[in-house]
Amino acid sequence: MRVAVIQFPGSNCDHDALQVLTNNLKLESKLIWHNDFNDSSWDAVILPGGFSFGDHLRAGAIAAHSSAIKNVRKMANDGKPVLGICNGFQILIEAGLLPGALLRNACLKFVCKWTNLRIETSHSAFTCALDTNSTIRMPIAHNEGRFFADEDLLNHLTTEGRVVMTYSGENPTGTLRGIAAISNEGGNVVGMMPHPERASDATLGGTDGLKVFGSMLKWS
Amino acid sequence: MLVNHFETILTPEEMQYARQRLNREPNPLEWSMIDAEWNEHCSYKSSRPVLTQLPTSSPRVLIGPGYDSGVVDVGDGYVLTLHIESHNHPSAIDPYGGAATGIGGVIRDILCMGTRPIALMDGLRFGDITKSEHSKWIMKNVVRGIADYGNCIGVPTVAGEVEFDQCFERNCLVDVACLGLGRKSDLLLAQATHPGDSIYLIGGSTGRDGIHGATFASKRLAADAEGERSAVQIPDPFTKKLIIEATLEANRAKIIRGCKDLGGGGLATGLSEIADKGNTGVEVYLEKIPIREVDMNSIEVLISESQERMLCIVRAGSDALLEGIMRKYEVTAARIGKVISTGVVTVLQFGNTIASLPTSFLANAPIINRKSRNPKVTKDELHIKPPTDMVKALLELIASPSIASKEWIFRQYDHEVGINTIAKPGEADAAVLKLPNGKFAAIKLDGNSSFCNLDPYLGSASVLAECCRNIVAVGAEPIAMLDHCQFGDPNDEEIFWSFSMAVKGMADFARAIALPCVGGKVSFYNQDEENGKAIKSSPIAVVLGLIENTEHITRIRFNEDGETIIMVGKTMAELGGSEYYHTHDLTGTIPPALDFELERRTQSAVLECIRRGFVTACHDCSKGGIGVALVEMALSGDKGASVDLAKMPSDEMSDDELLFSESNSRFILTTRKPNVVLEILSKEMVPGEAIGIVGGDSLEIVMRRNKLDCKLDILRDAYTNTLERVLYH
Amino acid sequence: MNQLFSVEIIISNKPQARDPEGETIIRDLVHKTGYESVKEIRTGKLLTIQIDASSQEDARDRALLMCNDLRLYNPVAHSISVRVRS
Repeated sequence: MRVAVIQFPGSNCDHDALQVLTNNLKLESKLIWHNDFNDSSWDAVILPGGFSFGDHLRAGAIAAHSSAIKNVRKMANDGKPVLGICNGFQILIEAGLLPGALLRNACLKFVCKWTNLRIETSHSAFTCALDTNSTIRMPIAHNEGRFFADEDLLNHLTTEGRVVMTYSGENPTGTLRGIAAISNEGGNVVGMMPHPERASDATLGGTDGLKVFGSMLKWS
Repeated sequence: MLVNHFETILTPEEMQYARQRLNREPNPLEWSMIDAEWNEHCSYKSSRPVLTQLPTSSPRVLIGPGYDSGVVDVGDGYVLTLHIESHNHPSAIDPYGGAATGIGGVIRDILCMGTRPIALMDGLRFGDITKSEHSKWIMKNVVRGIADYGNCIGVPTVAGEVEFDQCFERNCLVDVACLGLGRKSDLLLAQATHPGDSIYLIGGSTGRDGIHGATFASKRLAADAEGERSAVQIPDPFTKKLIIEATLEANRAKIIRGCKDLGGGGLATGLSEIADKGNTGVEVYLEKIPIREVDMNSIEVLISESQERMLCIVRAGSDALLEGIMRKYEVTAARIGKVISTGVVTVLQFGNTIASLPTSFLANAPIINRKSRNPKVTKDELHIKPPTDMVKALLELIASPSIASKEWIFRQYDHEVGINTIAKPGEADAAVLKLPNGKFAAIKLDGNSSFCNLDPYLGSASVLAECCRNIVAVGAEPIAMLDHCQFGDPNDEEIFWSFSMAVKGMADFARAIALPCVGGKVSFYNQDEENGKAIKSSPIAVVLGLIENTEHITRIRFNEDGETIIMVGKTMAELGGSEYYHTHDLTGTIPPALDFELERRTQSAVLECIRRGFVTACHDCSKGGIGVALVEMALSGDKGASVDLAKMPSDEMSDDELLFSESNSRFILTTRKPNVVLEILSKEMVPGEAIGIVGGDSLEIVMRRNKLDCKLDILRDAYTNTLERVLYH
Repeated sequence: MNQLFSVEIIISNKPQARDPEGETIIRDLVHKTGYESVKEIRTGKLLTIQIDASSQEDARDRALLMCNDLRLYNPVAHSISVRVRS
């Protein structure tokens, strides 16, 4: 399986994601500069965390206009696994590949802590290796992770099984209905605020992240 | 606002010296360049003679003080770089921008050695936030500034330290230290060594912001400091991130011969320093410098301190390659000059020479030998009546901002980006980071203005000792240090005396434990112009340690019921300068004693116990004494303990002295092999005694006259929620 | 006789200071998507305040006083514009 990790100006977690994919999961994986992401022949693509374009205007708003998004959209339409982590999730929303909006945390501060997450559905390219209703642990680190959508959309996402993960126990950012990750209709495009690449090594706090990435292989 | 004439801080003696050396009168542009380089902040003219006391070499040290960062060899072709910066004056008037741009500055120093910044630490000193709205405002914004900047550039802020004292009300101290990682073969030095090499200015454009920033740092804060708008800069971490990636990529491509951070004094100082280090000269073309405001004059262009700018010395013939990489990252890069063999710094404008000064003259300010005088410090001899309610005394202490949990701060810092942070904030006495060669780096920053105020020599030696203890407690061997001296006006003889004694204290202790100083900073003039009050002496130490084996990494938390708690070291009735006294508005008369040799043996013995696998938790015993150390270990592991302090090595003293004394050379550790540990301690002639057992849901401490028994939940509430409560009540 | 006035306060970086956010928006979004006629963008924060006052001038003065007193903006780095809506 060949996985691309797109680098935008300001992406920070790109090397982290590449390291986990290459060293821990032994996948053929490469960092691609956004202007050079010219083809959709990859088997999967990851949009990593960070502060693309400094989070200026709105987090992910400028990156969503990058030429790279054209091919991300094509891969999404082809049913391939597409994962947006943190800033990547923000970019997928701004690009219209996922619905809703991600607003400033209710506490108005950046929050960096490990959280408990409930897997709401295993019908997604990044949770199919996990059991529904199981709990995993992963860190979050963001300023704008409060998922927002109107009641109709929230109900639609819930009934369609497109809410992929919720915070279990404490809701660290005030996100509606505890939503931490959602998917598109097909389940192949997932956006998540927590960082699976930071939960891929026992010495760093846990390895549940490996199952998130590993799901891609099961999905295909 | 055009700068038609500049306000110089050069003394008449310095100006006379300049005229004599040049054998002519410098023109206004040349005076500005001399002024920029010879101010205290850039030239260290007062402090250089004092700083030579510090030991600077060891087998691991590749580069010591004198360059942008110190460089330490950690084996297998890898090096770590280390540097510290402060941004005190800017943060006092624009806490958000000042603190943020402080990070920008220290990052550049690490980057221009060709290494990638991998961790940040912050050392903060604010006024009394329980009483001052101003200090609350400063603190909230300094933290937000550090968070926004560090998080945006993707460098984790992994450790720090905060002190609160009335003396920092109008003069907050904001220190940021940075650790970098790279390969020895990729190391760069900021020296222009090859005539013919191109000089590029990369990064932000040059504007009027930041003019006289370095001279701003070299005078006291005037009462109307808020009007000093041109000395403050707007942070731009996005541009910095692009510069980091572009520079590292250009370095990997072997295009760059050297890099220089542009900070204090702007281009004037940057150019003179690279030429001086390389024993060459530079020719710079004023019209090639990208400027932001069309009507800037030559002086403004050369001394501007606009942020996010670096000089790159590019190998002759590699110009196009460099420009290509900079274009990819949309980083502005302009070829502004070249290296020449004649030892002069020459500025040309459209072919006309408008300034020309000999390199070594410009780069080396005449040393000033300041006078010093032993001050008469008022100290109070008051004592506190020993309390009978020790639970109340303990709760009060752990709920004081200097002691209480700093979680409110570190949750705002991304401390995990880079996936190297093994020991995270709050878990251990120092931060521990994974290195690519299977080893681990431990880093910590420490200060203690209360100790140093009572006795700058002993106080600053204690600061270094405490910092080393924190490194040892996580299972690391200290291998390098930085010092940062922060004082008031050096023209004041008493202040200069304090500074000299502080450096001597650190130097003497560093020598006693064979710890090299690889860099540091001196920040003078931290003083309020209006009331003349200087800050308390605030030397800071940063220590880097190395851990060979993952099994050695040790945290503070109590692990398992039944483990034995051992008190290492002897406790004496030494409340002078303690946090306990501080919360009662007392200072005491002398800080705790420090026996250099005992401290060295103690650290060595504890490290041996850890390395041999006998220690399950370890915590340095310093601020707040045993009481606070035990609370922190219990809360971290969510396990209580029963402890009998009457058993431990100590003299006769009251119970509050027993619990809160801040005697040096002490640790608290837990072990399943108490006899083995005690034997190792005894062999090294280090005092030690088993004082208790881990277990239960409360902390029980028996003292000589009183005992305390407090549930963990109550301790947790006081410890964890204080900062939030105080800042937002 | 007091009435409610609507006061708009715009806080932005001082004109001589850089505006990195505005620069990024214009460089990486606006110009890259063809809007060449846009020459500069500067960003700011808008506070809309409903305030009891005796007149427009009074409303303006009260708002300004509050901004300075509570440090709603930092005069070192920011400038503000105050506009009262009738």
